[in-house]
Amino acid sequence: MPSKTDIFESKKKPAVKTVTERTVSQKTADIIYILLRVGIIANVILLFFPSFNPARLSEMIGRNLSLFSCGVSYDSIVANFGRALRQEWIREATFHRLNVYCFMVIIAVVISIVGGCMSLGNVKMKKAGLIPTAVGNILEIIAIVLIRTCYEEIVSDARAASKLDKVLPQYPLINYVYYVIAGIGLLCAAAVFVLLLKVKSEERFEMEPKYHLFLMMLPIIALSFVFSYLPLYGWRYAFFDYKAGETLTADKFVGFKYFTQLFNNAQTRRDIVTVLKNTLGMSSLGIFTSWVPMAFAIFLAEIKNGKFRRFVQTFTTIPNFISWVIVYAIAIAIFSTDGFINTMLTNITGTAHSTNYLMSSSHAWLKMLAWGMWKGVGWSAIIYVASISGIDQGLYEAATVDGAGRFSKMWYITVPELMPTFFVLLLMSVANILSNGMEQYLVFSNPQNKEAMQVLDLYVYNLGIGSGLIPLSTVIGMVKSFVSVVLLFGANSFSKAVRGESIV
Amino acid sequence: MAKKNNDKGSTGMVEKTTTGDIIFSVINYTFFAIFTLSCIFPFYYIFINTISDQSLVTSGQITVIPRGITIANYISMGKVNDLWTSVIVTVLRTVLGTALMVVVSSLAGYLVTKKEMWHRQIWYRMLVVTMYFNAGLIPWYLNMSMLGLTNTFAAYIIPGIVAPYNIILVKTYVESIPAEIEESAFMDGASYWTIYRKIIWPLSKPILATIAIFGAVGQWNSFQDSLILNANSPQLYTLQHRLYIYLNQCSNIGALASSGDVSTIANSLNTKIIQYTISMVTIIPILCVYPFMQRYFEKGLMLGAVKG
Repeated sequence: MPSKTDIFESKKKPAVKTVTERTVSQKTADIIYILLRVGIIANVILLFFPSFNPARLSEMIGRNLSLFSCGVSYDSIVANFGRALRQEWIREATFHRLNVYCFMVIIAVVISIVGGCMSLGNVKMKKAGLIPTAVGNILEIIAIVLIRTCYEEIVSDARAASKLDKVLPQYPLINYVYYVIAGIGLLCAAAVFVLLLKVKSEERFEMEPKYHLFLMMLPIIALSFVFSYLPLYGWRYAFFDYKAGETLTADKFVGFKYFTQLFNNAQTRRDIVTVLKNTLGMSSLGIFTSWVPMAFAIFLAEIKNGKFRRFVQTFTTIPNFISWVIVYAIAIAIFSTDGFINTMLTNITGTAHSTNYLMSSSHAWLKMLAWGMWKGVGWSAIIYVASISGIDQGLYEAATVDGAGRFSKMWYITVPELMPTFFVLLLMSVANILSNGMEQYLVFSNPQNKEAMQVLDLYVYNLGIGSGLIPLSTVIGMVKSFVSVVLLFGANSFSKAVRGESIV
Repeated sequence: MAKKNNDKGSTGMVEKTTTGDIIFSVINYTFFAIFTLSCIFPFYYIFINTISDQSLVTSGQITVIPRGITIANYISMGKVNDLWTSVIVTVLRTVLGTALMVVVSSLAGYLVTKKEMWHRQIWYRMLVVTMYFNAGLIPWYLNMSMLGLTNTFAAYIIPGIVAPYNIILVKTYVESIPAEIEESAFMDGASYWTIYRKIIWPLSKPILATIAIFGAVGQWNSFQDSLILNANSPQLYTLQHRLYIYLNQCSNIGALASSGDVSTIANSLNTKIIQYTISMVTIIPILCVYPFMQRYFEKGLMLGAVKG
């Protein structure tokens, strides 16, 4: 076993070596590696896009299946083949094989990724990395060839049963792209092999720290990309006449039709105006009352009994941690026909009361504000409580000496001290003016108050998921995203100008 | 029983109590007492209704004090199969989702502090930007369905693994750990992975506990993903989704009875009690972890004040 200092020195050495002793062939190899890595990335992307599925050997295979789904789930491949398989127009074995070959492609891509990652190491590691690169690409070519055999089998079986028109076999052109990518990958690996043949390898497998760290980070970056950036690709639906479940084709391109529909279509326009009124109305109510948590904290600090203060703080924070569904359950328990209020009124007055307070449409905004307050005020106050405990007690003492009363101390010391926090939170809520979230409004919606509850987020949900108007709801979402970003930047610049500090 | 450090304004001062002070105190205490009561009472009210005798609940006699205490309601609800599946799904997603999120957040939070990483700033900003910008609900949904994550349990877990907020929290925390500890380990030949496992992970446990507890509450409460992504897979409905359905259905007992297992108990249980009992099942876990959460409030506060 090498001693600790050995390891440490060897860690430092290669960094120096690579900078000084880089040969021409190594530099050329680096350029080829870029191509190789781009190929791998392209390969990974292709794996997940349903439109680029080489295994879609029949029009009956789901349009929304990617190669990846075909590889991991046999059931999804044969989902639409129930009849064809029962009548034995095609054989189940074909699809089992197809499933295996798709999985082979996935494995091949994974192996290629390993090779690509190893290419970031030192020469020894690079050379070793050529093995997985070559294996991965060869495996991929084999798998694609095998997928072709499946296609031929499907065609011959269907022809034998003379049901070509029912099975609808097809050979996706993307298969050739796979050949090209894998071929290029192989060529690159061969070229690099030749170039690096003469370069002397180091003694052990190593990688520069910067790449090592990057590779550790890579899966996280990939996840973030897939779930936060890839959805942006969905914005293309805004420009197509798309109905849920269809495929996008060029002839459905309608340009800015749905953008202009926002303004030109009377019905849509009326909806949007109502929705914006609700959204801005409720957000403004929230903004106008954003001082309440601060006041809550200030008055709470005036409570001298520590036990009681902690008790209040503990229990007023609970509602923040329950979901809106439970808040709604509570609302039902208290305010519905046979809820607490009605029961109490009945018991007290002796006459039956059964008003369903939740059903009425009156004061919907104020009610939502009240529920929002009930849920959030205790939690929002905590940040102010913490700030208050950080205020220099000397200020209060000095003020007391000067004869300041309770309220002047609150107003002239506590409030100004809390202002920076308040200001940041206020700006954030201004930046979020369009995002009220949909859960609260969804759960509290009912036929009576629907009109007043429809905020932007809920409207997009109802339109897109409920009515399946994908393009229009995408357009609205896009506009909302843009406006939100502009508002955030605006709020940020405002904050920078006024306080000299950014909020994000 | 006031404690020493409570009396903020009066250290070393002699305070005269005036009538104004007394009036103020009375009003102040009353207000907070009422507000606090409004936060506790609904839970209490639902609870006493679930443990009281059915006939008394139905006739509206249970308002403040439970009577005819029984756990029959819970036992009956225990026979509802789809409630059990929801409980299992929700518990699983809470445990798995939180565990993965915490591990990944802590690793990412450590990695983004390493200045030698290749293009660290780009990756870090890429993560942070996602907090302030998103493509919107529909593109998100289409993306998830393109990835084959609709009607799967994985839809609850995988998208939540990378949580930029929490990564920033961990990063801030890791930056506060003295650099010497890490340097000396590095000198001793420890790899980044070893340093992460042996040093960063144990030392950042307080912040990890914070994000774990907030993450778990988020997972437990989450409802939108079940509603939107798994709408066609009732066996994957989360407890919140199930509760939402019951709340909407219960007004119509026929609809509830036709939904299978509930029919067997629908006869013996009042709609109100079904609602209350499921609500309680959903609330109790939150109330149980709540006392442990409180310690982490202060750190959780940073959630609202993080900087990118």
